[in-house]
Amino acid sequence: MEAPRSREQQARDYLKTHRIMELLDHLTSVLLFVRPGNPREYLISVLECMKIAKETNVPFPYFMDNSNITAMFEMLDNSGKGTISFLQYKEALKTLGLCDADEVLSDDGHIINLPKFKKEVNKRTQEIWSSF
Amino acid sequence: MDATTAPHLIPPEMPQYGEEKHVFELMQTMLEQLLIYQPEDPISFLIKHLQRDNDNVPKIVILGPPASGKTTIAMWLCKHLNSNLLTRDNLTERKSSSVATEARKHYQKFKGWILDGIPETREQALVIQTLGIAPRHVIVLNAPDTVLIERNLGKRIDPQTREIYHTTFDWPPEPEVQDRLIEPEGISEQETAQKLLVYHRNIIKLLPSYPRVLKTINADQPCVDVFYQALTFVQSGHRSNAPFTPRVLLLGPMGSGKSLQAGLLAQKYGLVNVCCGQLLKETVADKSKVGELIWSFLEKKVTVPDSVILKMLTERLDQQDCVQRGWVLHGFPRDVDQAQRLDGLGYVPNRVFFLNVPLDSIMERLTLRRIDPVTGERYHLMYKPPPTMEIQARLSQHPRDAEERVKFKVDLYYRNSTELEHFYRWAIAINGDQDPYTVFEYIESGIINPLPRKVL
Repeated sequence: MEAPRSREQQARDYLKTHRIMELLDHLTSVLLFVRPGNPREYLISVLECMKIAKETNVPFPYFMDNSNITAMFEMLDNSGKGTISFLQYKEALKTLGLCDADEVLSDDGHIINLPKFKKEVNKRTQEIWSSF
Repeated sequence: MDATTAPHLIPPEMPQYGEEKHVFELMQTMLEQLLIYQPEDPISFLIKHLQRDNDNVPKIVILGPPASGKTTIAMWLCKHLNSNLLTRDNLTERKSSSVATEARKHYQKFKGWILDGIPETREQALVIQTLGIAPRHVIVLNAPDTVLIERNLGKRIDPQTREIYHTTFDWPPEPEVQDRLIEPEGISEQETAQKLLVYHRNIIKLLPSYPRVLKTINADQPCVDVFYQALTFVQSGHRSNAPFTPRVLLLGPMGSGKSLQAGLLAQKYGLVNVCCGQLLKETVADKSKVGELIWSFLEKKVTVPDSVILKMLTERLDQQDCVQRGWVLHGFPRDVDQAQRLDGLGYVPNRVFFLNVPLDSIMERLTLRRIDPVTGERYHLMYKPPPTMEIQARLSQHPRDAEERVKFKVDLYYRNSTELEHFYRWAIAINGDQDPYTVFEYIESGIINPLPRKVL
């Protein structure tokens, strides 16, 4: 039947345009990390912060700030040579929820070092947050 | 293995918090609401939704043939759950609203809704669903046609309060009400039979619309029974898809079958079977620090103090396999003190079962245990008798299975059990006096179904 299928398609498009899954992922991670006594009130405060940040164009309260990204990079790079392999880079982005499992990232042959990793993580996070 | 390929070590506080606060269900309802209403500004919508806090309001649909008692049950449930009742009559009275807007309005006022007799056909059900109204519980009342036709003949309505009475089953006590009662139209045998035909035609197509939330209740019993069955159903939650690592505690007197059930659970669900007695022996054999400490007590035939046992248990429960796969604990705690200390250390079980077995069955189970000293095979004189007379002649009994010792241990358990039951208020009591697989099925359903929620 045409009508229900297009409603399902409508729902999927809605999820994609508003990045609902990333929003819910972020809320769940924040909740599990902070473990507040009253989860509903805490979620309300987080959402209000996001709303205000969006309206006043203040930088968002990012979950992974710069020191966390550096720490993560250092964990991945266990030989300390300052670069990580392409596979590790892709896995890391997947773990952070910043890329889908089947998104094809181009391996342009250049090594991935810390500034490049930081830039990519920040760029993707910014992309997600701007659509909230 | 580097940090991306190694399995992630999640601190156990996170899944415990998630389970306790029902984070998964919270996120699931948020996603459902977003998909149904698809607001342009999801953040404000979510803020309003969270402030409303009405995830647990009743959302019930009651269906059934005419004269099955739908309206009576619906009104009683309404009063009990403090919710709103919507029937076809009181909806058609309001001129400008439809089912959907009414139900939505009531949902938003945090009282929930109970639909009586709606939807009647599959088309109506589909329309309601596309508008985003999905009941959490659907009750279908069932009774044989002849009973219904007879019952309908005795139906009487009080025109002032719109309450339904019955000449035989539910006669009002006050004489003023009795005088007021009128016969409603459409209760003759032919009319009821016709309505039943229509009902049967429609209900067959309607039942598959609500696969997981449906329950049929036999309406051919006293009203109060039907009501209580409906109430227990409505107060129980459904199996949710939330990730769940079972941390099971089995409590019961000696001989109630704890080790057997723990073994079955460990085998079927991959949980780690932590038997306190067994663990003690293993730790001593390991000759670790704790093991040496325990051995020093056992040598002198003194009971091992609680702190040492707790230290040994915490070591075991902290290991990665217990955290990831879940555990089944039995043989500990034996009294409230131990239970409180276990709780204090953060090892809170999420399902607790009390296996109740009467003393006679315990005596039967334990005092008839025998062991064959030659082959080492264990027998039971009633449940697993030895095959030949020769073997039976040489069987011997373990001293701990002697009658006095068993009685002593069972007494010890019962002295502490009332306090333990009070401590684990939400524990599930199971009759352990049945065959092992029946008991296992009861335990399984206790683990898989969510704990019953008290009505708000």
